[in-house]
Amino acid sequence: MAGSDIPSVSEEDRGSSVVVLAALCVRYLPLAIMLAVWELVGRSGLVSQQMLPGIGAIAAAFLDLLQSGELIVNAWRSLSRAATGLGLAVLIGMAVGLLMATRPMFRTFINPLVRILYPMPKSALIPLVMIWFGLGDASKIFLIFLGCLLPVIVSAYNGARGVNPFIIWSASSLGASKDEILREIILPAALPDILSGCRTALAFSFILMVSSEFVIAKDGLGFLIGSLGDGGNYPAMFAVILSVAGTGFVADRLFGSFASHRLRWKEQA
Amino acid sequence: MTADFGIKIEGVSHAYSSGQGQRAAGTLALKQTDLVIHNHEFHALLGPSGCGKSTLLYLIGGFIPVQTGSISTQKGPVTAPGPDRSIVFQNFALFPWKTVLENVMYGLQKKGLPDAECRDIAQAHIKLVQLSGFEQAYPSQLSGGMQQRAAIARTLAVDPDILLMDEPFGALDAQTRRVMQEELRMIWKRRPKTVVFVTHDVHEAVFLADRISIMSARPGRIEHQIETGLGLERDESTLTDRRFVELGEQIWRLVREQAVLASRGGL
Amino acid sequence: MSPYSASDYRDQLLQTLVLAGLASLWEVSSRAGWVHPFLLPPLSDVLVRLFTDMQSGAVFVDLGLTLYRALTGFMIAAMLAVPLGLLMARRRGVQWFFDPLISIGFPMPKIAFVPIFILWFDIYDTSKVIMITFSCFFPIVTATYSGTSQIDKWPLWSARSLGATESQLLREIILPLASPAILTGLQIALPVGMITTIVTEMLMGGSGVGGAMIAAGRFADSVGVFAGIIEIAILGMVVIRGLDWLRARMLVWHPENRSY
Repeated sequence: MAGSDIPSVSEEDRGSSVVVLAALCVRYLPLAIMLAVWELVGRSGLVSQQMLPGIGAIAAAFLDLLQSGELIVNAWRSLSRAATGLGLAVLIGMAVGLLMATRPMFRTFINPLVRILYPMPKSALIPLVMIWFGLGDASKIFLIFLGCLLPVIVSAYNGARGVNPFIIWSASSLGASKDEILREIILPAALPDILSGCRTALAFSFILMVSSEFVIAKDGLGFLIGSLGDGGNYPAMFAVILSVAGTGFVADRLFGSFASHRLRWKEQA
Repeated sequence: MTADFGIKIEGVSHAYSSGQGQRAAGTLALKQTDLVIHNHEFHALLGPSGCGKSTLLYLIGGFIPVQTGSISTQKGPVTAPGPDRSIVFQNFALFPWKTVLENVMYGLQKKGLPDAECRDIAQAHIKLVQLSGFEQAYPSQLSGGMQQRAAIARTLAVDPDILLMDEPFGALDAQTRRVMQEELRMIWKRRPKTVVFVTHDVHEAVFLADRISIMSARPGRIEHQIETGLGLERDESTLTDRRFVELGEQIWRLVREQAVLASRGGL
Repeated sequence: MSPYSASDYRDQLLQTLVLAGLASLWEVSSRAGWVHPFLLPPLSDVLVRLFTDMQSGAVFVDLGLTLYRALTGFMIAAMLAVPLGLLMARRRGVQWFFDPLISIGFPMPKIAFVPIFILWFDIYDTSKVIMITFSCFFPIVTATYSGTSQIDKWPLWSARSLGATESQLLREIILPLASPAILTGLQIALPVGMITTIVTEMLMGGSGVGGAMIAAGRFADSVGVFAGIIEIAILGMVVIRGLDWLRARMLVWHPENRSY
């Protein structure tokens, strides 16, 4: 997706840090404009400060939340849930997808479940995980796990099925066994698809983390946003929302650079 | 026990069922094919596209199971792919996530050789195909000709008894193709192996092979077998050799017949 | 459509049997008490509930509202995002302004903004639809922009040399060439839109499947929760299949729909 839009600086500009800085400024000027409009709309009184707190107020609320530890504690709760669910989904999803592509019987048994679960909007399972696992961590981790699992399975399956058969034949004529072909050939060859599935799963993990914490409100960032909103502390609510959005953005970018590092063999000279 | 043949093909027929490849249900690709390829012979399989020459090669390689008839080598009947029969494909089929060196080392590692030895043998073969200096490059960073050299090095490195080549130069431009043909013949002269070389290029077959089998239009069969008799040495001068030119014309007529038949066959 | 062979049919049959097996396992394990019926009410109870709700019409009201909200938000997003994506790829100024905003907005979990939309637009349909539009917008604009930027120059040059003007180029050449990417964007956005619809319904209430389910959950009515899941699963499958169908229709010319 929007992977390659790290500030693009043309070849001849490279080397001059001033030019790079200027290019960065030009690139991110629109963001500054948007922030300025936000601030001006707030100050002009067109919209009440309640509805659109000023940037200063939001920043101050952010610092308060940071100092009181509220933000850190809840962020830790949320992110550890998301990471657990996502991590399990990636491990299991990869294995299931690869096996589906290479073992026809396995595919016959798993495919019906995938076909039912894949198109289902996973947020519909929130009341179910609440019934099954209560209001604690388990319900949210399970929801995130299930939501992230399907994109990983489907991408691993499609990636493994799409592997050039001649590559597999080459490996077997060089003496690789069935297991070695799965681990050493099919897995790396399917990696581009798997990583893009994982990126989708990462986005889902954030969506489901926040959604489940909104609905099953006990703790976590979603809960914090809700309770700040209920209490009318809108600058703080905005601060947490923007922190969540920023964390999602950073996580995606980190994953993107990890993926392009792993896939550096794809780049043309 | 050593047999006097390199590969023996007896009464092999092959039908593609639906769902295998893109062919229609139950297409007969090979019909009652018999062929003996001598030990250390450079043998070309020539024929119009869709005549089943690649199918025959894949059967020898053990990539697709033999349905009727039998194929055997000095090691006995062919049942599965193995490093005694290594293959070079038209589209190179290098492992794109491995460097040239890692690609060439792969088959050696599968033999269970120690890492240092793998590295030495791989380096030697990279040198043999004149790719020294590109050991650490990924396939995507190489030209088509260089990728095919790497693929040939990877295949030769495991020192197969039989070298299978599936239109290996088909994806290369004319100049590169010419250079690669000469180099292949040179490498083969130094390290004689049984080579089965599939192509639809008449002059490539004549230039490279000791013997050529011309296959008929689908269902494929060996229609003619011709000794080229051009001797061991092949180079620039071979191209202007009277025998080379005559053979080329004669074989071209035979192949053309089959190609016309194939296009009438409603493919 | 590719013709199925005998082994494909056998596989289809087996898969159906697997499903039937799972359904019976569900029914039996609940009836026999292997699993507490509150955690997993018998499938037959759930189906009976679905049937009575269908007779009373409640299912159709809920499903209809959910579908209406999801599709309205989705279509507004498409109508805004596709032209913007095309313009970003063709006009440097538009690209300069929107690219940083879109590339920052794309990976953000938009669902976190629900409380802001509640604050601004209250909890009724306007608010829900705007939230759905907001979450569908970014995948569509990103896919349109990147797909349009990657179009080969050859068809454009051909069209130019045949006398096409810039606006004809945009409508008659670029839009069709970008349509696979645009449809992919829509296919990414639709499931996101469905997830968002359900969550907004759960949070803001009002009728709709999401609201009905959360009510069932609060009243510990697990049969109701399962009935809701089945309704949503069917709804999700129908809209996603619908979009797949639309893609096949619109891209008959594309190699992806080649049948051998």
